[in-house]
Amino acid sequence: MKLKQIFISLLFAMIALTSMSQATGQDATAPVVAEVSTEKKAYEPKTIAELATSFWQTTGINAIFDVNDGETTSEPKGHAYEREMTWFESSLGRIMMILIVFLLFYLAIAKNFEPLLLIPIAFGGLLANIPLAGMGGEHGMLGIIYNMGIANEFFPLLIFMGVGAMTDFGPLLANPKTALLGGAAQFGIFGSLVGAVMIGFDLQSASAISIIGGADGPTSIFIANRLAPDMLGAIAVAAYSYMALVPVIQPPIMRALTSKAERVIVMKTTRQVHRLEKLIFPIVVLVLSILVLPESTPLIGAFAFGNFAKESGVVDRLSDTMQNALINIVTIFLGLGVGSKLAADKFLVLETMGIMIIGLIAFSAGTAAGVIMAKIMNRFSKEPINPLIGAAGVSAVPMSARVVSKVGSEEKPGNVLLMHAMGPNVAGVIGSAVAAGVLLSIFK
Amino acid sequence: MAEVNNVVEALKFMALGMGVVFLFLYILVVLVKVQAALIAKYFPENTPKIPTTPVGNTVEDENRRVAAIIAAVSEFRKNKS
Repeated sequence: MKLKQIFISLLFAMIALTSMSQATGQDATAPVVAEVSTEKKAYEPKTIAELATSFWQTTGINAIFDVNDGETTSEPKGHAYEREMTWFESSLGRIMMILIVFLLFYLAIAKNFEPLLLIPIAFGGLLANIPLAGMGGEHGMLGIIYNMGIANEFFPLLIFMGVGAMTDFGPLLANPKTALLGGAAQFGIFGSLVGAVMIGFDLQSASAISIIGGADGPTSIFIANRLAPDMLGAIAVAAYSYMALVPVIQPPIMRALTSKAERVIVMKTTRQVHRLEKLIFPIVVLVLSILVLPESTPLIGAFAFGNFAKESGVVDRLSDTMQNALINIVTIFLGLGVGSKLAADKFLVLETMGIMIIGLIAFSAGTAAGVIMAKIMNRFSKEPINPLIGAAGVSAVPMSARVVSKVGSEEKPGNVLLMHAMGPNVAGVIGSAVAAGVLLSIFK
Repeated sequence: MAEVNNVVEALKFMALGMGVVFLFLYILVVLVKVQAALIAKYFPENTPKIPTTPVGNTVEDENRRVAAIIAAVSEFRKNKS
């Protein structure tokens, strides 16, 4: 099968070469490469060689290897923002991006790393790197999706609504002081902000990058779009890949910062939470965010709405839609839209490297700060607190809580920390939304 | 020169950001505690107390473990549905 394809492409290449040399021989004054025109013209008879040449010029192989046709980048904002692609972007760059896309496929399918997000993002990236198709442009599929919900920050909010409808605040309400752990983990955001500025990013871009430390995909997209839209693709890919790598990144940090005696601490069983407490909680959070930080109300408002619908108990149909159908649909669109930023001309820039590194530091710093805070709380608290649950302060829900539980039960079989870790975990979601609000208020 | 300024700015952002995050969550913790106390006072019937026993006894330990597992499983099922 492959041999056949190679043979066919070789054949085309040969035809093209011979016909080009013929053209130069016959008519030296005419330009060698015929312009592919979109306007309607009276049809002129063509030889089979000319037909083959013009076909060859529209193939992807030609677009990748022979890049002198002045192809422009595709921009969802419209033709006015397009520029001509460089030689690298429209040739090697594309091939590199397609390889990266297949690496993401591999991670999603074989390693099961956040497949729900990586598959749509990677496939979007594949489509965005198709030469000549202009999928990411104003009228291309990816461009339409991008304009529909990412350029105006709508999709991240819908995701937040669904996450709200999926979140159970019971564990947090049962042991409220663990919420402070979710605050400590936000050090990842602000610590890496300083780091990003040190390596030369300007303040606004640095803020957008450092939000990766919140380990919260929708928030990262929301902030990146406001503060540094050019870096959206790299930031989203970094945020989601590090979220997928939670089980790999977090445990070594957790083990390094705690002693064996601390890791085997058994925590008290959480109390039963009254239904009314759960019902009122989203309203309390919302009112507080309105008073303190109206900048973050789009995120927290959507979150509170989803949670309120769930806890009200009378609109199961709506809450079910938010948790399943709606969030699934939006995930597809969000993934493809973000994937459009994996086009070679947008992703293969020097900043991407910096974003990946800063993102990793941000993530690790957040985990470390959470664990250290939990150690301090354990020292001063009457009830024992296992420092491992601090790592769940990064808001990758519920993955980091699961990781904490796994590490905890490895240290001491039967020690179930999951419920205790869910407290800091959901507080981390609120914490990173608040941190996002602070950053937005600075650059208002 | 400009870079030095930027780092100082970033440190200020950090102070502000961490301050606001902690303040927000701290107020939230206080509100949640107040709310829990109020609800326990005025709607007491639905808050059964789970007896807590100190660690040490192996049988008690086992019971606690079973309780935790049951709680986790029921929470998980509830989340799933």
